[in-house]
Amino acid sequence: MTEYIVKEDALTAFFQAIANGRRLLAPQGQGENCRLEVATGPVSLDYGNTHLSPKATFFPQTEKILAYHKKADQPKYNQYQDLGDHAEPTVIFGIRPCDAKGLAISNKVFQNDRFTDPYWKGKYESALKIGLACLNPSPQCFCAAMGGSPFGEMGLDVLAYPKEKGLGLKPLTPAGEELVKAASLPSADLASEIKDLEKKAIEAQGPLDTYQIINERKIMELYKADHWSATAEPCLGCGVCTFFCPTCHCFDIQDETSEAGGVRMRNWDTCMSPLFTVHGSGHNPRPSKTERVRQRFMHKLKYIPIKQDGVRGCTGCGRCVVMCPANIDIRTVAATMAQASA
Amino acid sequence: MTLLGKVISVNNPYMPYPVRIASVVVDSPDKSLRTFKFEFLDPEDENRFAYLPGQFAELSVPGQGEIPIGIASSPTEKGYVLFTVNRVGQVSSFLHNMKEGDIMGVRGPLGHPYPVEALKGKNIVIIASGFAVTTLRATVVWLLHPDNRPNYGRITFVYGARSPGHLLFKDDWEAWQKRDDIDVYVAIYKMVPGWTGKVGFVPAVLQEICPPAENTAAIICGPPIAIKTTQPVLFEAGYKPDNIIMSLENRMKCGLGICGRCNVGPEYVCKDGPVFTLAQLNELPPEY
Repeated sequence: MTEYIVKEDALTAFFQAIANGRRLLAPQGQGENCRLEVATGPVSLDYGNTHLSPKATFFPQTEKILAYHKKADQPKYNQYQDLGDHAEPTVIFGIRPCDAKGLAISNKVFQNDRFTDPYWKGKYESALKIGLACLNPSPQCFCAAMGGSPFGEMGLDVLAYPKEKGLGLKPLTPAGEELVKAASLPSADLASEIKDLEKKAIEAQGPLDTYQIINERKIMELYKADHWSATAEPCLGCGVCTFFCPTCHCFDIQDETSEAGGVRMRNWDTCMSPLFTVHGSGHNPRPSKTERVRQRFMHKLKYIPIKQDGVRGCTGCGRCVVMCPANIDIRTVAATMAQASA
Repeated sequence: MTLLGKVISVNNPYMPYPVRIASVVVDSPDKSLRTFKFEFLDPEDENRFAYLPGQFAELSVPGQGEIPIGIASSPTEKGYVLFTVNRVGQVSSFLHNMKEGDIMGVRGPLGHPYPVEALKGKNIVIIASGFAVTTLRATVVWLLHPDNRPNYGRITFVYGARSPGHLLFKDDWEAWQKRDDIDVYVAIYKMVPGWTGKVGFVPAVLQEICPPAENTAAIICGPPIAIKTTQPVLFEAGYKPDNIIMSLENRMKCGLGICGRCNVGPEYVCKDGPVFTLAQLNELPPEY
C-alpha cells in the first residue's frame, strides 16, 4: 500500500470526504480537555492525548442490553427482549496508537475463544479507526516500554501523522485504503520519513526494561513476592486507574425495574472494589487491597500477555500514572515485580 | 423503548431462554435448599441448550438479576433441567419465593463439563460433600446411562452431608445402592437414631473405602474445607494431581469470560473452568 498526503488547505474537505454521511468522531478542544467527540468544531491536531480513552465509544459506561414486561397480560411477559447493539456507522479520527492497541486488546476479550459479545462487536466493527501518531510523546507516555510505539499500527485502519500543518496518511487495512482513496488525495512514498519520525519519538521516551524478566518468571513467583503489601499500601481503592485505563473492560450487570417492567443493563465496574469478587456466602477471594492491587498489576503485566501472545495489557498511555491520587506508578510496580524475589 | 442499531436475535450469549417452573422441591429441613425443575417454553430451546455434566447456567430472574448455578440434571434426562439453589442473596431469596408455573430465564450452558470424554476407559471415584453434590448427581446419572456405562470402569460414589435431611437426591442414590455397577457410600456427619448408613466426615469415609489409584480419576466437589481435607486421603492412596478433578466457584456476572471478576490468575472460572485438575490449580493463585 502506498501513502498519501493531506495539505493544510485540504483538511476540511478530507474530513468531510472520510465521514461521507457517517458519524465522525474527532479530537475536540485543546490540551488536557481534548476529547474524542462528534466533530462539530475544528478538529484538533495538537494534543498530548485525549482526556479519556475512547473505550466508551464501543463499551458505554452504562448500556441497556435487555428489557422485559412485568404485566402478565402483555405478550412475552417476564421474557427478556434484546435492545439492540446501538451501533451506527462511524469514522474515528485521532485515536492515539496506545489507545487503539488498548481497544484491540479488549476486542480479544469481548470476542474470545468461546463467546462473542454482540454489543461490543456491533460498535467496534462498524467503526473505521484512523490513528494519529505522536511526534512528541508527553512526559507521561511510555508506550515503547510496553512493546508499543508512538507510530503503532495495532487496531487501526489508517495511521496519520502531522505533516507540515497537514497530514501524512498510511493505510493499514483494505477498509482503510478504501476510505483514503475516497478522499482523492495525492499519493507519496512516506515510508522512510515515518521510520525516522518513529525512531525519534521512541528515543524521546525513557526506557523500561522489565518485560523479559516478568515474562520468564512463573505466575506464582511473581504472585508470592513479598513487596505486594508495600506496593498496595498507598492505594485508596478509588478505581480511577480502571476508569481511565484503555484496556480495563470489567463490568457489572444490574436489573432496574419500574411498574411496567425492567431493563437489564451493564455498567463499568472496577477490580479495586471489595464487592467486585465477594461471594454470596460472604467469602472474598481478594479480601484486602493488597490482593486487589496485585490482581490489577498481575492482570496487566502477566495474565494478559499469557492469553494474548505476549502483548501486555498496559499500553503505556500514562493516564493512571497522572490520575492516581496516591501516585502509584505502573512503571515502578513493573520494575519492583522484576526485581523482587519470591 | 426505541431500538437502536441492529437487534441481536441470534447467538446473543446474554439472552436467557424463557422457562416455566415445572416444580419446586424443598430439600433441607431449614428450607435453605430448593430444587427447581424448569421446562423450556420453546421446545427447540432444549436442543440449543445442549450440555454435559459439570456445566452451569445463569438462572435469570427478571428484575432481580442472575445467579450462576451448576446443572443438577443430566442431558440423558429429557424434557427438563434441574437446579438446586441455596438461599443466600437477593436473586436466590426471590427465586425461593417463586412458584410452579412462573416464567423466568435460563442462560447457558456455560463453562466446561467434567472431562467425561478423556476419562473413557478409566475408573472414576466421585466425592461429594453437602449440596455441592448437584453436578456430581448429574455426572452419575450420565455415567450410568446405558449409552455411557460400558465406556467406563469401576464407578464409586461417596457422598456426605450434615444430617439425613440434608442429603439431596435420596431417590437417586437409594436406587444406585441397589445396582451392582456402582459402589455407593452415603454418610452423615453425626449419628442420629434410625440411620443405617455410614457416619463420619467425607474424608474419613473415603479413607476406609478409597479405590486404588491405578487408572482411576477422582472428581471432588464440596465446600473448601472438604476439598482441602479430602486431598491428603487421595495423595496417600497414590492419586496424582493430574487425576484429581475439581470444580470451582467465584462471583460471576457474564459467565462468558468478559466481565472480569471470576479470574484465578489468567483463567476465568466461568469460561475456562469451572472444572480444573489439581495439577492446573497448583500453578495458579488460590483466589477462589
